[in-house]
Amino acid sequence: MNEIIIAILRSGTPLIYVTLAGVIAQRAGVWNLGLEGLMIIGACATIVGIMLTNSILAAILIAVFICVLASVLLWFVIDRLKANPIIAGLGLTGLGVGGTALAVQSIFGSQASVTAPFGLPKLGPAFGAYGVLSISVAAMPFVVFGMWVLLRRTRFGLRLAACGEHPFAARSVGANPSRMRLVALSIGGVLCAIGGAELAAGSLQFFAQGMTAGRGFMAFAAVIFGASHPVGATFAALFFAVVGALGIRAQLMFGDKIPHDLLQALPYLATVFGVWLSGKLRGGAKAASSFAELKDQ
Amino acid sequence: MKDNLIAVVRSLIFVGLALILCALVFQFAGYNALTMLWAVADGAFLRSGAIEQSLRWALPLFITAVGVGISFRAGFFNIGAQGQFYVGAICAAFAAEAFKGGPAFLVIPALLISGMLGGALWALWPGLLRLRSGTDEVITTLMGNFMAGLLLVYVTSGPLKDPSGSGQQASSRPLDAAYRISDSLGLSPTIIAIAVAVGVLMWLLVNRTAFGVLASLAGRNGTMVEWQGARLWKLGLSSFLISGALAGLAGTIEFMGPNGRIASGFLPAHGFTAILIALVANLSVVGTAAAAVFFGGLASAALYLPIMAGLPAAAIDIINAAIALFITARSKLVDKVLRLGGRPS
Repeated sequence: MNEIIIAILRSGTPLIYVTLAGVIAQRAGVWNLGLEGLMIIGACATIVGIMLTNSILAAILIAVFICVLASVLLWFVIDRLKANPIIAGLGLTGLGVGGTALAVQSIFGSQASVTAPFGLPKLGPAFGAYGVLSISVAAMPFVVFGMWVLLRRTRFGLRLAACGEHPFAARSVGANPSRMRLVALSIGGVLCAIGGAELAAGSLQFFAQGMTAGRGFMAFAAVIFGASHPVGATFAALFFAVVGALGIRAQLMFGDKIPHDLLQALPYLATVFGVWLSGKLRGGAKAASSFAELKDQ
Repeated sequence: MKDNLIAVVRSLIFVGLALILCALVFQFAGYNALTMLWAVADGAFLRSGAIEQSLRWALPLFITAVGVGISFRAGFFNIGAQGQFYVGAICAAFAAEAFKGGPAFLVIPALLISGMLGGALWALWPGLLRLRSGTDEVITTLMGNFMAGLLLVYVTSGPLKDPSGSGQQASSRPLDAAYRISDSLGLSPTIIAIAVAVGVLMWLLVNRTAFGVLASLAGRNGTMVEWQGARLWKLGLSSFLISGALAGLAGTIEFMGPNGRIASGFLPAHGFTAILIALVANLSVVGTAAAAVFFGGLASAALYLPIMAGLPAAAIDIINAAIALFITARSKLVDKVLRLGGRPS
């Protein structure tokens, strides 16, 4: 049983950090499809940082810096150049996946993966079987709680939601939607850096090309599934991690009876179902953006 | 006409901006940016035989991109081209198993049609969810891409598995040589004819039929079209189905032409590139053809770079991504510059 919980926490924690990044962007009115790219940049920068500086703290600071920089670029393109957030986000993802592959090749020569000598600090034997988990797993519930307080119980969080839902009204009470989006995306950059660091240096200690393998998109799905509420989205991300872990279990237990690849599709199917259901309950969800509408602006 | 010209110039400006960003990334990653961009141009268009290779990649991309353009025009953000491309190829592969041994002149059209049906099917459910219950199509089609990718893994390592295949990448049994529509170089009269037919038909559909006009209007103002008596959901669903069918057709061409089989995770960037092509072309059919040649060139350069120039293929992904980042941008500065060229405002 412990084993399963550890597996779920290991695969779930990076997803949850990135999901929270998606939540804060979503509340600011930005559909952040760049999460995948930010996460892989965070993962790559952490491992490369460890190799270059030999210090985990410095490595994480480097990852945070680069992820925030990339988020600011996304903000600039979406907010200042009025680009379509979905296409720009997909572009950022491509830039992250391609850029990290290029960086690893140019720094370490042609190798598919880079192994670091050490990773994030572990909890240690005081926590029994759970001692193998990294400190960022332990920090995760507090971050989720902090995010909930920030988004639901502070002046900033409520203004952010106002900016996301109705920028015009928010402006009329003195909020600056453009600056709010910048802040939200930057906080998201920090969270993605931590999520990427946990993915690459939490239980593993290496970076491989394309190692996020769609986790950023899954996080985005969790944001939508969790109705962009920090706690709801966290549970959605956790649910995806559970399905993933159970899929591997089922593979071990039932062998060929259930095709593993099809079980892996469950989270995506669940997201479609969840979005459909939330649309039904709210009486017809409005579409996020229409391309033609943007074109006419 | 002037508006079209401005759209072209605008696209070119942002593509140029993207290339500058790429040059910075290359330089930052430790490569000489000029060498890299020159190698890309060389691999795409300049070296001998490059144009043929670029066309080989451009034709399927063109077919998918025209479909993407149709659904964007109607105001539906169908980003599921990749999934529709895969499901089309999968359906054609199953059909190829079923019709094995039939005469080629019957089997080849049958395979093409089943591929189109497969792609349309994978666009049907997001379309129905969107038009019947308002479920956002961005999410459903994005999820559909992942599901189709997993379906492809399952099919190529399960029902269609090639037992003699190497362990490296699961792939289906090869298509009977009699049903192939091109050799592995991927440029044949059949494929060119299909692409031209698609281009002409879609141009007529968009510019010369009531459907095309109404769909474009629906994209701008759905309520108005509804008030004028058109059935919005019919228009919408048709545009979903057309874009799905064309993506499926492209998948089938890749299967029956250059690849001759389907492999798990083959051409993972096809759908994304097609979306870019449609956007760079500002959704016009003629523009899509020109943009497809450009991006086809990039795709062929991706194969050329690591082998001939010793540079990483990821460079091409970065160029594509940077173009994606900027292509929908509407900068006031650029608009101002263009207006100086005499745009009536």
